[in-house]
Amino acid sequence: MPIRVVLAEDSYLVREGVRRLLETEPDIDLVAVCEDYDSLLSAIGSAEPDVVLTDIRMPPTGTDEGIRAAERLRQARPAAGVVLLSQYADPAYALGFLEHGTEGRAYLLKERVSDLDQLLAAIREVARGGSVIDPKVVETLVAAKSRAVASPLARLTPREREVLALLAEGRSNAAVAEALVLSERAVEKHINSIFAKLGLPEARDAHRRVKAVLLFLAEQD
Amino acid sequence: MTSRSVPVLIVDDQAFFRSAARAVLAVTPGFAAVGEAGSGEEAVTRTDELAPALVLMDIHLPGISGIEATRRIRATHPGTAVLLLSTYRVEDLPAEARDCGAIGYLHKEDFEPEVLERIWAEREPVS
Repeated sequence: MPIRVVLAEDSYLVREGVRRLLETEPDIDLVAVCEDYDSLLSAIGSAEPDVVLTDIRMPPTGTDEGIRAAERLRQARPAAGVVLLSQYADPAYALGFLEHGTEGRAYLLKERVSDLDQLLAAIREVARGGSVIDPKVVETLVAAKSRAVASPLARLTPREREVLALLAEGRSNAAVAEALVLSERAVEKHINSIFAKLGLPEARDAHRRVKAVLLFLAEQD
Repeated sequence: MTSRSVPVLIVDDQAFFRSAARAVLAVTPGFAAVGEAGSGEEAVTRTDELAPALVLMDIHLPGISGIEATRRIRATHPGTAVLLLSTYRVEDLPAEARDCGAIGYLHKEDFEPEVLERIWAEREPVS
């Protein structure tokens, strides 16, 4: 079964570019292409999307239409995924978009749309309930921070915090190991301990990584 | 392309944007894409070969920048107009963008058929 995708983007160039990319993919069925909030809501209601790929800012207000549409989709079609495209790495938008759960949610910088493989990977990931956060967005979130006190993160050891901060930059276990001069096995042990302390023992690994990173970011101001 | 179409060369290092720009040109009456280039150097060579009336020029390119490529094209092909196309906010544009000989600058997100038609109609005649 192909993934039914609704695309919403007010920029003509980006919209037509993405349309051309997706139309060549056999496992993607582009069922509607929208230019504003109202037509997106109408497509969510009628086109039975598995995934909505949407810009954040669109007419009529040019502010947070994509995020509001994602919330409407969560109520209308809870199993459907959203890939949100953002012009700039904006922490407030990212957290607003992810605050009711990261399942089936991807937050990508718009510059990624030119990379077909990344875009398709995000669409396929959210279609099966996974999460993707653009590493650049994560970097920005981490850079704009100061520490809060009362949080499950307070239970982490300084070393575990270091590991988590590196995960939040989008690094792999191997890259974390290299940065901290640890073995990969030691990094895995730290990560498992982080997940346990944050109460994230059950979900799939990729999913737990995203959640742990979000907890870390949520306490930054 | 009809005999009256404006022949356009598309310059961008990303295939996505070249393909998207082709899609825009395909539905803009009076314009026809005649070629593509992925770098500033290639843009200069392709302009020599194709003599386009309009070059859509990305600013960030591998090798020489779109601004430098515009200078070279304008020096040797005064009848070819160049429109800079990038993702800078206008206030962040490099200063040299203003005096490299381009007819204007357009944010990629604003590039659409009506806008291109208007820019072309209102441009200062070249050469």
